[in-house]
Amino acid sequence: MPPATRAERFRQLTRPARVAGIVGWASFLAAALATMLCFAFVDPQALGVGDPPSWWGPRMRMYAIGFFFFWFVGAMAAGLAWLLAHPTRRR
Amino acid sequence: MHGAHETTVPVPLYEAHRKVYPREVTGRFARLRTLSVWVLLGIFYLLPWLSWDGRQAVLFDLPARKFFILGLVFWPQDFIFLTGLLIIAALSLFFFTAVAGRLWCGYACPQTVWTETFLWMERFVEGDRSARLKLDRGPWNANKLARKAFKQVLWVTFALWTGFTFVGFFTPIRVLAQEVVAFNAGSWETFWIFFYGFATYGNAGYLREQVCKYMCPYARFQGAMFDKDTLVITYDQERGEPRGSRKRGTDPRSRGLGDCVDCTMCVQVCPTGIDIRKGLQIECIACAACIDVCDEVMDKVQSPRGLIRYTTQHALDHKPTHLVRPRVLIYAALLGVLITGWITAVALRSPVSLDVIRDRNSLFRLTDDGYVDNVYTVRILNKTEHERDFVIEAAGASPLTLVSAEHVYRVPSGAVYSVPLRVRRAAYDPLGAETIRITVRAVDDPAIHKTTDARFLAPAR
Repeated sequence: MPPATRAERFRQLTRPARVAGIVGWASFLAAALATMLCFAFVDPQALGVGDPPSWWGPRMRMYAIGFFFFWFVGAMAAGLAWLLAHPTRRR
Repeated sequence: MHGAHETTVPVPLYEAHRKVYPREVTGRFARLRTLSVWVLLGIFYLLPWLSWDGRQAVLFDLPARKFFILGLVFWPQDFIFLTGLLIIAALSLFFFTAVAGRLWCGYACPQTVWTETFLWMERFVEGDRSARLKLDRGPWNANKLARKAFKQVLWVTFALWTGFTFVGFFTPIRVLAQEVVAFNAGSWETFWIFFYGFATYGNAGYLREQVCKYMCPYARFQGAMFDKDTLVITYDQERGEPRGSRKRGTDPRSRGLGDCVDCTMCVQVCPTGIDIRKGLQIECIACAACIDVCDEVMDKVQSPRGLIRYTTQHALDHKPTHLVRPRVLIYAALLGVLITGWITAVALRSPVSLDVIRDRNSLFRLTDDGYVDNVYTVRILNKTEHERDFVIEAAGASPLTLVSAEHVYRVPSGAVYSVPLRVRRAAYDPLGAETIRITVRAVDDPAIHKTTDARFLAPAR
């Protein structure tokens, strides 16, 4: 089997679906861990002083929002890592 | 040959996915896996229905922030125990990997276990490997449509039941069952039932070995735990090669052949679609299906079993194998210490917790009649499952008095009770500050208590 060329390898790795899959999955795992750690120590019902913001809700909603927040941040980090790990494309 | 470089054909880095049709296998290891599937899934599906002391035996009550596991209740303050449990789990994974490779993957991983059950359903409806291959290649006739539809019904039902059970670990399952039957389950419960159901359906029905090959982090690093004394599933190249078919009853050696009859059964049963005869590969999840099927073939051709077997690199190299070696001993010792420590810590865990915080506004206050007062905020957390009455005691080098309105504090289960506490002592006897011990004790059960140290400040002279 002839080896894949550099350009071909780059094309394969940059396929949007593959990148989205890897970034999404890695950040999902990280978000699951972060959510667990975070809400083990922080009770969303007992936060801060004064009135909570208007969108603040019951615990289950805050857990879910927290999870999606961590997923988003994790995806940003994973996506950035992927971007920086690859050389700039030259024409 | 020189022109070959210019005409290099780009080959995809990742080969296109080809569906694997594992052949059914029977034998020692298949029985072991079937047993494992029944035990593990039995625990998963039945556990939430068990009751303990009038409540669900195992319930991770996220809205109430407490976990019930049989007789134990864990609060957020007990998070350290969960961390300990995860570390123990990771270390056991290392230990078993070092001893016998990917045991976890082959017998206990939810991916393996659920894939196995989905395969059973597929086999039940569509038949064994050859029948499934034929059905998939054939045209979409009534038979194919009926079988595929029936399989989907089984898969979807099982997946939804799995999602329902999963959510039943987080919300009381009996209540959830009534809500689901009446179609009025909460939006989050409904979402998670479908989410987990869909994940089961997709992972066990379609992704299967691709989860192990592309998604699983453990599959990527498990090789680091392997050494030449690790038991791995290996094809005995020396004995098997050169492979080839032969007539029944002929002596392979006289024809210059090894023991492998090249029946390709080991390839057909492999759930990840690899050829074990090419050596140990990252895709191998150590399910031992190839051992079972090869043993069967060896029996038929009257050769000794074990052409494919659990063995070590050292054994294959005709060197002594050391199952007990530093790596294994270190893992085992760490594991032993952690497990003992964890059990002891959980057993000695106090069912009440106590925080004593000094009043920040004043160091102390002298009274007219020769006493000194220190003010603290005492926070009592009742971690038992019942409402309880507590009393507070303080002890120091000299007699201390507690000056406060109530003397008995009623704390509901799981609640934190904050109370200001004024501790009084003779101002000059002894002179200066001291460390006092503040104890909170349940009225009905003096064994439930917790003591903490606090600094008592007083004038030095």
